[in-house]
Amino acid sequence: MIQYKKLIKSFGTRTILKGIDLHIKAGEIVFILGTSGTGKSVLLKNTVGLMKPDSGEIWIDDENVTDFTEQQFLPVRKKCGMVFQHPALFDSLSIYENIAFGLRKHFVLPENEIKERVEQALSLVNLENVLTKRPGEISYGMQKRVSLARTVVLRPKVLLFDEPTTGLDPVTTNSVNSLIQNLSRKLNTTSMVVSHDMHCALKIADRIVVLDQGQIVDQGTPQELLQSQVPLVRDFLSEARDLL
Amino acid sequence: MKSGALFLNRLGEILLFLSEVLKTLWKRPCKLELVLEQVWHVTIQSFPTTAMAGFFVGGIMTVQFAMLVSEFGASAYLGGLATSATIREIGPMLIAFMLSGKVGAFTSAELGTMKVTEQIDAIRCLGADPIQEIILPRFLGIIISSFFLLTGGLMLSVIGGSTLGILFAGINPQEYVRHIPTILGFPSLLSGLVKCMSYALVLATICTFMGYFTTGGAKGVGRSVVSTSVLTMVTIVVFDWGTSFLGQLLMAWFAVG
Repeated sequence: MIQYKKLIKSFGTRTILKGIDLHIKAGEIVFILGTSGTGKSVLLKNTVGLMKPDSGEIWIDDENVTDFTEQQFLPVRKKCGMVFQHPALFDSLSIYENIAFGLRKHFVLPENEIKERVEQALSLVNLENVLTKRPGEISYGMQKRVSLARTVVLRPKVLLFDEPTTGLDPVTTNSVNSLIQNLSRKLNTTSMVVSHDMHCALKIADRIVVLDQGQIVDQGTPQELLQSQVPLVRDFLSEARDLL
Repeated sequence: MKSGALFLNRLGEILLFLSEVLKTLWKRPCKLELVLEQVWHVTIQSFPTTAMAGFFVGGIMTVQFAMLVSEFGASAYLGGLATSATIREIGPMLIAFMLSGKVGAFTSAELGTMKVTEQIDAIRCLGADPIQEIILPRFLGIIISSFFLLTGGLMLSVIGGSTLGILFAGINPQEYVRHIPTILGFPSLLSGLVKCMSYALVLATICTFMGYFTTGGAKGVGRSVVSTSVLTMVTIVVFDWGTSFLGQLLMAWFAVG
């Protein structure tokens, strides 16, 4: 489904991704864990063409997208929806218009179908009665859900989540994590989740990939990771056990 | 040496950005209602400031010239001299400074916040072009409204000059107005309008550029706002010299012709 081959990305003299080799299979929920600044978000942004790698290749659905132009990336972005760290909603638009935005840009649909799909997407993230509100009128947790609805309304084959629970309280964190799991199963999507949260990764991931200093230091199923001897993974695991 | 290279680098980036905006305008123009919305917002937000600035700039010029011309017994020319100097030189520049602090700072802060909160990335992911969707309406809106605000401000500077001159410098109103057409000819008016247009272009380009390329969170937004104000003012002064110089050349050429 998604394959990274020897992916390298630098900013000035600092190399963030140092030759990432990774293969994400269709239908998997893969958690990318790592400390801040290890290149997790950079990996996601390279996937949808928001950043360009210095070298290496990115393959999506047997298509090499590494050197795609902005125009060529449009169909890729239609099938790979990204949920950002910030809700990134457009303040000047209502919630309805925020969710309909991508539908209007990517497809030519009649207004009644747009409305139907927007309502469906909102019910998938368990939100109602917010259509006419502006982003500033709802809570941060609700904004995160709207952001998720704005992505799933496009019915992407791949969902990319960039720290979806950052800044949320534990209750909302749990509900967003359940949403990620349910959406991936219900919509039959492939999901890549960038996170610091090992506790959640152990609960819902099919596979966990641990990044450190721009390189993959360990990967495997949650059960395999529990046996890991890599110090960073042990640190993450001990923190997760403290939460249990 | 290093700062010179940095300056040239920044200048190149701004010109590339401007060419990208103009290319988008040519190939994929934005919706007219988005531009009109921006024109409305900018004009409504900034008219009181520019009107007040224009009114008092005119007043200042009249009071300053009044002291000089009375020494030479040329008070009859006060209106013409003050109005011409205001429209050709000081008026557009000072009003543009006001606009850079208000419209420029607001726009770069708005775009900068959109950038650091990933709204611009989201626009790209949702299949839209951020230049077409958010930059172009602001760019055109600022140019159109700034041009009208500047020319409106200049008209008010003439009213301000005459009103404050009459009230506080004991100037005869008829005498003030009589020689305005003698000194303020078409070239002066044209020079003022060209300056207004070029300052509007400078302001729109710099504030959208600084906002669009903001990095580094809240601190980055602050840096963009400050850079917008400083860079706009410096560029306006440079453009003022450039347009004045060009104006002199054209006037000399017309005189010879």
